Order: sequence, then structure tokens, then C-alpha cells
Amino acid sequence: MTKDSKTTHSDEHLPVQIRHSSNLWIEAAKNITHNPSAIIGMVILGILLIIAIAAPIVATHDPILSMIGQPGETGRLPQKPPCIPLFGCEEAQHIMGLDLNGRDVFSRVIFGTRTSLFVGMVTVSLAVVGGTSLGVIAGYAGGYVDNIIMRIMDVVLAFPALLLAISIVTILGPGLLNALLGITITFIPQYARLSRASVLSIKEQEFIVAERALGAGSLRIILNHILPNAITPLIVQATLGIGTAILDAAALSFLGLGAQPPTPEWGQMLSEARNYVFTSPHMVFYPGIAIMITVLGFNLLGDGMRDALDPRLNRR
Amino acid sequence: MVQFIVRRLLSSIPVLLGILAVTFGLAHAIPGDPCRAVLGERATDEICEAFFIRNGLNEPLPVQFGIYLRNFVQGDLGDSLRFHRPVSELLVERLPTTVELGFFALTFAIMVGIPLGVISAYRHKSMIDVGTMIGANIGVSMPVFWLGLMLAYLFGVLLKGTPLALPPSGRLTPGANPEPFFMLWGMVSEPENAASILVFFSRIHTLNAILTLNGELFVDTMRHLILPALAVGTIPLAIIARMTRASLLEVLGQDYVRTARSKGLSEFVVVVKHALRNALLPVVTVIGLNFGLIISGAVLTETIFGLTGVGRTLVDSITSRDYTLVQGFTVIVAVGFVVINMAVDILYGYLDPRIRLG
Repeated sequence: MTKDSKTTHSDEHLPVQIRHSSNLWIEAAKNITHNPSAIIGMVILGILLIIAIAAPIVATHDPILSMIGQPGETGRLPQKPPCIPLFGCEEAQHIMGLDLNGRDVFSRVIFGTRTSLFVGMVTVSLAVVGGTSLGVIAGYAGGYVDNIIMRIMDVVLAFPALLLAISIVTILGPGLLNALLGITITFIPQYARLSRASVLSIKEQEFIVAERALGAGSLRIILNHILPNAITPLIVQATLGIGTAILDAAALSFLGLGAQPPTPEWGQMLSEARNYVFTSPHMVFYPGIAIMITVLGFNLLGDGMRDALDPRLNRR
Repeated sequence: MVQFIVRRLLSSIPVLLGILAVTFGLAHAIPGDPCRAVLGERATDEICEAFFIRNGLNEPLPVQFGIYLRNFVQGDLGDSLRFHRPVSELLVERLPTTVELGFFALTFAIMVGIPLGVISAYRHKSMIDVGTMIGANIGVSMPVFWLGLMLAYLFGVLLKGTPLALPPSGRLTPGANPEPFFMLWGMVSEPENAASILVFFSRIHTLNAILTLNGELFVDTMRHLILPALAVGTIPLAIIARMTRASLLEVLGQDYVRTARSKGLSEFVVVVKHALRNALLPVVTVIGLNFGLIISGAVLTETIFGLTGVGRTLVDSITSRDYTLVQGFTVIVAVGFVVINMAVDILYGYLDPRIRLG
């Protein structure tokens, strides 16, 4: 009790204003909402999230149902370009046309949003958890533990990411979950390096030494002091990483190693359509645009967050 | 400087060993029996046993790894299980395609990316700046293979018949069979006797065209290269432009730039000679990091543009379980990646004394 009243007392007489930690978060949120690229990114991602959740409502057809022979269809051949009512088309409507199997491309693109957002977020979450744990252990323990962990990370980083992911998926077998795991492994080192660097810069500071002198255990120091201080660069890197993860997952699916037919997945749709690009470009165009918009959303948000959360930039 | 280089060289040895171990492990973990993958229907137990003995696959793994290391140091990457030819021979045949593609993609990225970044930084917050940065953001968000397909459609179909039309696949017009420079120069009597290094360079068609002064071949190669190089180079271009802009913006605000201006130097000299020089340091690192992107891009675009390079061969051989080839090509790509990063580090140390002395 005496301690509390003493603090309040000294607060009143301090000549400088004390900033409480909650204010920093409010300030960060304010910075983010004032950053145009972060706002555009958030709007794009917000719309995509709504589309993903409401996919069955937004989509006009069943994404894996062939339209051939369905009631109301005019027998229009699949892989024909879409027919646009604005330009005087009066046939059965498929906004983005039909694919090789006569499925509605628009509905497939809409359902693909779910797959891509899922892959992007899960991959990066796993990589952040795995990478941060390794990085924190390496940085906190130091010595040979640090050396072994970081040399392994160096080796993983020495491979071009996509190549390593391809090799891993080949071993595990093609499929969306294995692709996800493959990409996660290639992502781990960057988060390990980032968190290790943060730990090293914080570890020797006086407040940590003081905490240790008070008898706090390693786990408590890591969870209560080191991680909260290391989290900002991790959040930024993770947001930017989701975009890359989505691109990598699409690339693996494009090579036939990721999502398998008939799953509506953008990379897989491109893979099916790639030999028909000269005759039916619409089958290639729309899934690619969808990938681009999604990745753009994460990149803009990540860039905006970096600008908003970087204290060095704010002071200028 | 020498000390710095030696230190950097030594520090990459464990990474190289790690790469060899990982590739060896990965290749052996590929599911499926290589014998049945290669011989297919013909494979019986006896034939497979002979196959294993012939290829050293019956030895314990550590022994196989030892043999693998020894052979690797001697430049022997084993025989491809599918092509029944040495992997190194296939590499000499196919790496030039990828090297040429990567070279032109990177050249395009640097030649366009740096000037764009400089203009954006110099005209900060102008229409050019905003436009470039929007373009760069879109550029890094595009899937390489989609861009490749769209370029092939645009230049191969939509612009067909116009002077802008470009061939959407292959390295050369079908039927073209360029004479290697070493034959024309009379260095070798029979093409079969040529040293690998000569074959390697002669297969970089643009280089061969320059060496044999064959203008027609040069134009033909370039026409086939433009689309894949554009596709592979776009993401690195966007990254380089962003980095150049950010870095130059920081430098332009510094005192010595104001001093240079107050001395009455022309804007061009101030920006290009004084500011850009220092601003390019982080750009060099970013260019080095882009090699990984270029290799990934090559893997995806070679399949689209029908180029038989390292990337496409790798993907094909993974599906056909040709694991000596997968091992050989992956190791070469990864080692190449390490060497390039090392070269970039050394260059960086040369450009910035703080790094080599720090």
C-alpha cells in the first residue's frame, strides 16, 4: 500500500509526463488509421474477409458443379469467354464465364478466397510461433544452443524458398496441407532471426537484469518482458509474409503440388487453365487478378503498419 | 579487405556442408522406389537389385553420403536415372538457358528499377512518385506465372500480326541451329570433343551470337527472351525501385547533400554523384537477395514458356523421381545462391568500409 501511494505522490511532482504503455498502443492504432496505405489495405482485406465468410451467399453457383446439362443453361460450350449483359448478351449469366469442366469461374474465384486466406494466415501463424520460439531460445540461451539453431536457419535460408518448398512437398506428397507445411518451414528462419535480434538487444538491458535479480524465472522474463518488446517488427513482418505465403501456395498449386482438383483454389485454377490461355484467356485472367488483389491488400497493410509502428519514422 | 574476404569464405563452409546434407537427405526421402520409377514395367526384383548395386544404392546411408561428398568435390554429380547421362552433362546443357534468363531479367530489373526509384525520390510526392509506387506495389503482388501467361497471351495472340508481336514459347525459332563459336573459330574439330565450359558458353545464345557476330541469331534469341525476362524481372524491379526510392530519400535529406548544392553543383551531379552513390548500398543487398526470387521465377516461367532450363528440368525430375538429378540440380542452385550472396557481402564490404572493419 505504501508503495502505491508513494508512486502516485511522486507522479504528481514529476516535471515530465509519464507515458503509460496502453497509450503507446492507442497511439500505434491512431498512426495506423491515419496511414493511407494501411487504410486501403484494411479495406481490401475487410471486403475479402466478408467474401470468404459469406462465400455461399456471394457465389452464384456451386463451385464444383458442372453447368453442362443444368436447367436454364443454353448449352453454351465451356471455356468460351464470359458473356456480359452490358454488351447485349442475353444468355445464361456467368459473370466470369465457365471453365473447362463447365464450372462457374466466378463462384470458384469466390470460394478460392477462403482457401487463400486460410493458407496465408495459418502458414504465417505457424511460422511465427515456430520461428519466434526458436529465435527467442537461441537469443536467450546464447552459446552453442544459439549457434546450432542459427546455423540450421542459415542452411534453410540458403535454399531459394520455392525450391525448398517444392522438395518438401514432393517428399510429403502433394496436397494443400503439405504445401502449407512446406511453406511454413521455408518461412521459419526469417522470424527466428528477427526475434533473436530483438532478444539480443533487450536481454542485457537494466530492467531485465533487475527482473532477474528479483528472482524471476527465464520463462517469465521471456513471456512478460522480452516478447512484448519484440512484437512490433514481428507483426509487420508477419503481415507482409502472408502475401508471400499466398503467392507461394498458389505457385505450388500451379505446379500441381498444392490444392488438388476439384478444390477451388486460385493457383490450381491457373494450372488447369494454363494450356488454354490462347483460346480462353478469361479462365486464366480472373484467378490471377484475385491473387494479386489479396496479396496487394496484405502488402499495403504491412507497409502501412511498418510506417506507423516504426518509432524512428515517427520522430521525424 | 583480404582478411574480410577470407573470414567470409570460411564462414560459408558450414552452410555449404549443411546444404549438401539437406539435399542428400531430401533426395533420399522422396517417396517411391527409384528403380521402379525409372524402369517402370520392366522392373523385377533381380533387375532392381542389380540397379541398386550399380548405382550404389545398397550401401548404408552414411557411406552413400561419404561417396556423394567425394564425388561432389570431384565435380561428379552422378548419372541421371531417367536420362541415363551424367547430371553434370545435363547441367552444362540446361543451365545456360536459366543463366541467360536470369541475367536479362535482373538487367531489366536494375536498368528500369533504379532510374524509377531515383525519379520517384527526386520528385517526392509528385504524380510520377505516386504512380511508380502504386505500380511497384502491384508488381510485387503479382504471381510470376500468371504474369507470364498474360504476357504470352498479350504478345502472342492479341498483338499477333503487329510489329510488337513476340513468340510466346521456345528459345529460338524452330529449326534454327546456331553454330557454336568454338566450331566457327576452329578451336575444336568435332562438336563432341568440346570441353564442357565451351559448350556451356556456346549455349548462352546471346553470348554465342555476339562471339560469332551473328546478328540474326542475336535478334531471334532476344525476341524469345523478352517475355520470360519481363515476367521474371517484374517483382525484382518493383523491389529495387522501392528500395532505391526509400534509400535515396533518406540520403537527400542529409547535410552533405545540402553542402553539395550550396557549392553550386548541378542537380544532376548532386543527385547522381553524391547522393545516389551512398543510397545504392542497401540496393546492392536487395539485388543480392533477389537471386532467390529469380530462381523461383525461372522454375515457374520456364514451364510456361517451354524453356528447357534448370527450373523446368527440376520440376519434371521431381515428378519422375529422378533423384540424382534433383539432388545435383538443387545442390548447384543452392551453392550458386550461397556464392552469389557471399559475393554481394564482399562487394558490400568493399563499398562500405564500416562493414569490413566492424
